[in-house]
Amino acid sequence: MSPPLLEVRDLRIRFFTEDGEVRAVEGVSFDLQEGEILGIVGESGCGKSMTALSIMGLVPEPGRVTGGEIRFKGRDLLSMAPDEVRDIRGKDIAMIFQDPLSSLNPVLKTGFQVAEPMLAHQRADKRRALARAVELLRQVRVPAAEQRARDYPFQLSGGMRQRAMIAMGLANAPSMLIADEPTTALDVTVQAQILDLLRTLNRETRTAIVLITHNLAVVAGLCSRVIVMYAGQIVEEGSVFDLFERPQHPYTWLLLRSVPRLDRTRPERLRSIEGLPPDLIAPPPGCRFHPRCPFRIEPCFTEPPPLQEVGPGQRAACWVTMRRAHEEMGAATLLDVRPGAGSGVHGPIREPHRG
Amino acid sequence: MVESGSAPLVRVENVSKHFPVRLGATLKAVDGVSFEIRSGECLGLVGESGCGKSTLGRLIARLIPVTSGRIVFDGIDLTRLGGRRLRRLRRDFQMIFQDPFASLDPRMTVGDIIAEPLANYGLSRGRARDRRVQELLEVVGLSPSFVNRYPHEFSGGQRQRIGIARALALQPRLVICDEPVSALDVSIQSQIINLLEDLRHRFHLTYLFIAHDLAVVRHISDRVLVMYLGKIVEVADSGEIYAAPRHPYTRALLSAVPLPDPRKERRRSLVELAGEIPSPISPPPGCRFHTRCPLAEVPGICSEQEPPLEEKEPAHLAACHFSDRVSAMGALEPPGDGPPAAPVAGEPPPRRGTLLTDPSPGRPAPGA
Repeated sequence: MSPPLLEVRDLRIRFFTEDGEVRAVEGVSFDLQEGEILGIVGESGCGKSMTALSIMGLVPEPGRVTGGEIRFKGRDLLSMAPDEVRDIRGKDIAMIFQDPLSSLNPVLKTGFQVAEPMLAHQRADKRRALARAVELLRQVRVPAAEQRARDYPFQLSGGMRQRAMIAMGLANAPSMLIADEPTTALDVTVQAQILDLLRTLNRETRTAIVLITHNLAVVAGLCSRVIVMYAGQIVEEGSVFDLFERPQHPYTWLLLRSVPRLDRTRPERLRSIEGLPPDLIAPPPGCRFHPRCPFRIEPCFTEPPPLQEVGPGQRAACWVTMRRAHEEMGAATLLDVRPGAGSGVHGPIREPHRG
Repeated sequence: MVESGSAPLVRVENVSKHFPVRLGATLKAVDGVSFEIRSGECLGLVGESGCGKSTLGRLIARLIPVTSGRIVFDGIDLTRLGGRRLRRLRRDFQMIFQDPFASLDPRMTVGDIIAEPLANYGLSRGRARDRRVQELLEVVGLSPSFVNRYPHEFSGGQRQRIGIARALALQPRLVICDEPVSALDVSIQSQIINLLEDLRHRFHLTYLFIAHDLAVVRHISDRVLVMYLGKIVEVADSGEIYAAPRHPYTRALLSAVPLPDPRKERRRSLVELAGEIPSPISPPPGCRFHTRCPLAEVPGICSEQEPPLEEKEPAHLAACHFSDRVSAMGALEPPGDGPPAAPVAGEPPPRRGTLLTDPSPGRPAPGA
């Protein structure tokens, strides 16, 4: 197999706030292969967006990458000189954001904004860049592309704006596109079209995509591999089929069972995940999920579980794993999802340990 | 489940809300809608942004006045009511808002926020009011010791619980929930949905549940109402509307919802809608959906004649000239597929929450 397009190794990001150091991302490592679509899922504050922003060098103040490597085509972006990095970002790596209205310049015409990355990297003169912008708008299925290129962003609908953003991202034919919640602000029918577009573009241009989202369903259709993050760390990684059909981390397992689904008989009651995500200034010792985990056992309180192989191509950071939770703790018939409920080690009523 | 014969708590009769936008032009946010909310039911209201669902919720909450039509609450016409009589009736219908960050006054303590409705209506005072506030906090799953804290000290889910406690303070009969979980994280969403269900059974509440998430709406609602461009296009029991929609727009919406299942996603067929939602300032003539509808006969009846919202099957209303052709648009993923990972297939229905004091009748099976 050819070397990965992107290798992230032991990435650490901290925010230096008045209240203390927020450990937003801690020890995240993953690869992205050429042409692959990788999903990173998790709830707000899990570190998924910060991981993406660090690749672009866009971690906002008072945050800082405090350790690790981000190797793109074998070269570490974090140790490169700023102008070397600028040659890569926006050209070989592009990023699109959740809210296309606030990421587009309101006083510049859409066509010019799509052309701008080409001008910035001297890949075309202005006339040719503008012509190519119209072509790109057409490629992302914007109807009446010549006309729309002359429009300002406010004249476009939300879906059209997101298409324009994607066109801008594709302007320099990047080998990698990072899409951070690209459909979260859109209506469900428009979301379906944008996801379809990303899938088609990936097939046609072989651009690798990192899709960052809180929505498991969005990941299911688009991605071949998925990473689940919780409290700044990767808790599970695997092929989309393994992850959805044989999740091994209790967080992944519970997350999949806590959303109402149109394709299932309506359950009497949703499973919930008790409690709240931890404060990352003082994360809990041991496994960061243990205060909310129904299957926790003794080591979970004190020793952080390593991310280890749980099946071919699947890794999970859990001392128990769902295989054991099913076999020994009757996970399938577990009614009480309160912390510690299934473990048999701690009574179901017992309060979670405090740090 | 509420028998179809049970008395409506709210009757919405031909209600419109038009906003003036510029000289002569009006935006028809809600345009001639009629339906009822039955006592004790949870009525879901879905549609995409700009369809008028939130405006309709605010009209029923009497936060804004109607342009025309009547809203009859428990036999009393709200639209003609004002002053003290409206104020007295308002106790009976309360609202829960989407944004738990914007809907709580940051300078008030949690205790004051929840006590405010009680104070406004001169209900209980002193020690009794404090007790009531603490009781309400417990009811929504918060510690009574939180009374002296401020909203910023709480997470989104906890703030939504505070908003729910405030809405319940006056013991309303109808609660209008406007996107109550859409700003919340997945793991918190299910907590709030379960809480809302518990409260409904415990206090015999009636809900109007407004949301854009079709899966959430199906989960919580007995009946569902679908809106498009200021009009109601379909109303039916929630099992029925998802299993056999009779309006092409509902069908398209359902086909667009991504499923958290990689195999089903890979064989999904999307009903493509042409173009974009037209402006509610100048909605298309005839059926408002005809410009995007895959079934429309244009030019023809669809662009000329507005289809009435009528019964296509018992208790199933749709506003479409060709509602009998909707089933030919392709089958939806049948519900009820067990997950491939065998251990979970036999999961028994989880036990009801501890909040439930009386054994309420269960919900109907989907499609029943």
